[in-house]
Order: sequence, then C-alpha cells, then structure tokens
Amino acid sequence: MSKILGAMREACRVLLGRKPAGRRLTVYADDLFIVSYPRSGNTWTRFLIGNLLYENEPVTFLNIEKYIPAIYLWPDRVMRSLPRPRVLKSHECFDPRYKRVIYIVRDPRDVAVSYYHYAIKRNVIADGYPITEFIHRFMDGEFDLAWNWAASWGDHVLSWMSLRQGRQNFLLLRYEDMLQDTENELRKVAHLVGIEPTPKRLRRAMELSSATRMRDLEKTQGKDWKLTKGTRQDKPFVRSAHAGDWRTALPASSVAEIEQAWGSIMKQVGYDLSTELPVSQSVGSATMKV
Amino acid sequence: MRRILGTLKQVTRVLLGQITAGRNASLYPDDVFLVSYPKSGNTWVRFLIANLISEEPITFLNIEQCIPSVYILPDRELRRVRRPRVLKSHECFMPRYRKVIYIVRDPRDVAVSYYHYNLKKRLLPPDCSIEQYAPLFIADELDMRCGPWGDHVMSWMNMRESRDKFLLLRYEDMQANTVAELRRVAEFFGIDPTPERLNRAVQFSSADRLRELEKKESKDWVFTKGMRQDIPFIRAAKSGGWQSALPPQVVAQIETAWGDTMERLGYELVTRAKGLSSRAKEAVFDS
Repeated sequence: MSKILGAMREACRVLLGRKPAGRRLTVYADDLFIVSYPRSGNTWTRFLIGNLLYENEPVTFLNIEKYIPAIYLWPDRVMRSLPRPRVLKSHECFDPRYKRVIYIVRDPRDVAVSYYHYAIKRNVIADGYPITEFIHRFMDGEFDLAWNWAASWGDHVLSWMSLRQGRQNFLLLRYEDMLQDTENELRKVAHLVGIEPTPKRLRRAMELSSATRMRDLEKTQGKDWKLTKGTRQDKPFVRSAHAGDWRTALPASSVAEIEQAWGSIMKQVGYDLSTELPVSQSVGSATMKV
Repeated sequence: MRRILGTLKQVTRVLLGQITAGRNASLYPDDVFLVSYPKSGNTWVRFLIANLISEEPITFLNIEQCIPSVYILPDRELRRVRRPRVLKSHECFMPRYRKVIYIVRDPRDVAVSYYHYNLKKRLLPPDCSIEQYAPLFIADELDMRCGPWGDHVMSWMNMRESRDKFLLLRYEDMQANTVAELRRVAEFFGIDPTPERLNRAVQFSSADRLRELEKKESKDWVFTKGMRQDIPFIRAAKSGGWQSALPPQVVAQIETAWGDTMERLGYELVTRAKGLSSRAKEAVFDS
C-alpha cells in the first residue's frame, strides 16, 4: 500500500514538474558549482559568495535559494529558468559535467562531529545516540543525503581532488583556512568569479556572513528555510562554526578509525594526524632522506 | 503539446513502475558491476561472462536476463534478478559500486566506434564527418551521459585501481589473448577456470557468432530496437582501426586531450616521440 502511495506521490511530482533536479540537473558550461561534502562549510561559503556577488540585498536564509540555489531543492525546470551564469550549491561526488567548481574541504574529524549533530536535528538518530556507533555509519557514507551513490568523505574528497586539482576553473578551499583568514580566501573566490576584490566589498561580504549574523537569522528563519523546515528547531543548523571541536567531542577510538581510513587523504590536504607525527615534521624528515 | 505528452508518458511510467533504474538502481553488497565507457567492449565482455556463468548459450534476447543493463529495466525488475547479480553500467565513478570489472579501450578506437554508433542512433545526421564529430566526442557534448573519456577512465582508476574488488581489463588484451584474460575474470568471480569452460565461453561470444545473432535479433533486442538497422552494433571488433579511420588531426586532438592517461594505460602515442614518453621525460628531469 505504502509502495503504491509512494509511486503516486512520485507520479504527481513528475506531473507537476516538482521533482528536485539533483544529479539529473541540466548543466551549462558557464555554471559555477559550490561543491563539498555535507557539513563542510558550504552554507557559509554560499553566504559569502552571495554577499560578494549581490550588493543590493544582504543574503538571508529566505533569499539564499534564489541567489545560490541548492540543486536538491528545485526541479530542473525551475533551475533552467534561472539567469545565467548560475551559481549553484551541490554535494555531488565527482561529476564530469561540472566545468567550474569551488570545492570546500574540511577536517573529516570535525565533519563527523557536525554531521552527528545534524543527524539529530534531522531526526535521523535520537538524542544521546552513541557517537562511536554513529562514526561507523558515517564512515560508510550512510548519512550522505544522496540516494545510493552516497559517498564516504574519503571517496568524495579524493574524487574531486584527484580529477580536478591543479586544473583551471577548480578552486580548492580549506574550511580551516577560510576561518583563519577569511579575507584572503574570499579574494581567491572573487578572482574566480571575476569580481574585483576591493577591501570594502570583501569586508561587507564577511560581515554579512558572520556566524553571529547567521545564527541570528536562523533563529527567525530556520523554520521557513526549505532545507531546515521540518527539522528539530531546538537544534541549530549553524552550530559551532569552529575548527578542532573533534579534540573534545570525539573519542580517541573514533579518531583513530577515521585517521586509519582516510589518513593519506587527510595528510594530502594538510590535516595533521593525532596518531602520527605532524605533517610538517614528517615531510621534513622525508626531504632529509633525499 | 509535445512537452505535455512527454510528461504524461513519464507519469505513466512512474505509476507502472517502469522508470529505468539507471543511477538510481537499488544496490546490494554482493553486486558485480561491469563498467566501461560506451563502445569499449562492454557487450562482448557481457557475452563472455554470461556464457561463463550460464548453462544456456547467450543471445541478444536472453542477455538482459543474465547480465542486465541498469539502463533498460526498471528497478522493480532488477531487484528480482538472482543474486549475486552481474550488472552492466556506463557510470563514471560510483562510490557505492563495491565490486567492479572496468574495461578500458584505446580512445582513438572508441572515437571511431562511437561515431558509427551515434550515426546508428541518429544522434548525428547521416552526412556528419568524423572530423566534425571529434570535438563533440572529446568534450562529451553529444549525449552528455558519461562525461569525457579521460574523466571516466581516470575517475575509476584513481579511485579504485589496485583495490581488492576491482579488476581492470584492456579491450586490446582481451582481443589478443581472450582465454588468458577471461581466466582472470573467472578467478575474480571465484569460478573454476577449466579450459573447456573458458573455450566454450569464448566460442559462444565470438564476433562472428555475435554478428550472426545480431542479424536475426537486433530489431527485437531492447537496446538496438528503433535504431538504424543498416549500421551494425557489432562492428569491427578489432583494435587499431583508428589508424586508417581517423585523420591525423583528430588523432592529435585526442592525444592532446588525454595523452598522459593513454600512456598510463600503455597506449602508444603517435604525436610523442617514441622512447621518450612523458614518464621517461619526468625521470630524466628528476635525475
């Protein structure tokens, strides 16, 4: 019965042209994609870029889907009608059709902590669900929002890095660098989108995208934003906006599991492993041997 | 009007559960995927494997039951296929495919084969030359399903090469030494590769037999139904056809786009001096 209802619901969505585009999105060569694994600073980056591009109206949760829409919320029909060049948010693992990409990467240990809280917010797991248990499922990619092409953090990051790093029209941003020196990283973005990065313009974008402002906006708009509508409103979407929370939030055994699975990719991106010497030192000793 | 009809057709298919599974196919952990870029020998290898697994000789009319393509049947029917399933797919890297046989073929031959296939599918006008087609092929601007050849191949190689459940086959090796390559496939499946079994599979999957079968069955095979029947699906079934079929400038375009990937796979480039491949150059440079 529920199967039949599901099929009818699906049919209605097709009939009304309401099926979200997702991977079926019609891609244009001039599209710019903001891509990341979930919980890696995509929304913050969207606010920054939106506030950089659009100077008439500050970005909020109520207009962000107009300026920089997520490909998962709107049908392709709507997406095709947007003015070009489009700037779009995506969580897809490598998609060869994306020609211009800003890829944000974040320390997977922090991603794991953030994802845990987000899964509670979305009622996927209950309050107090054991985090060690969660980490296993997280590492298997089970919580990725994509259907059955859900990727683990490692596959996601490596797929984009190994196929696009060093190419034109691919900008790799580290969430941690963005936190530490937002202006500098935002300047790189401005160059990619072809905007002159005047200090005034950069600062305006940063102020309008600060964690404090976003938290305030979320308080009044969280229940109406398409992404968080229907999720627990007592849990914030904009959470700590910090790097390194994993040090206190993750049990050592979970840290070890993550580092064992993705250690080589983490080092490639410049994340020191707690189970090993810091990257700078080990690189140093390798050079010494040569 | 045409749009409304298209939507209605789509709605009916959803209601009847007939949407082809494609990328949304339900996956099981014991699935084996036979993945390749289009026109890289997937159908031939499908026949080889199916004839290895199945008692009954494989034809175009029963191949979709034995090793179904994820692009033809709806998910509902794919879920009913006996497990462990062997499925054909042309997807670029899919993180959820656990066990994968990946077939790679010289992109210069892929270009020639894809050109004829797109004529067969009427995606190209009958008077389109291969020079006109080449840039569309290199940028994947014609059907935009799988991405450019280089991205497709590198996505699988970068992510899965030298892993446990990944077997890389070169079409050219399969041609040159079918039995030896099929033995590797059998071992990958955990099948005892007795010479009789291997030889039987090779015979039942020969290009001559496939051509005979195609003549009789292609207008009924779901895959080629409705395409131009005057252009065969099973075409040359040879390696190196590009040397006579591709104009030098197209060869140069392809080698410029994907030279490094081709060399990594052992395809010799005509536009780079022999004995001084890029790897060799790097080595010289490093020392």
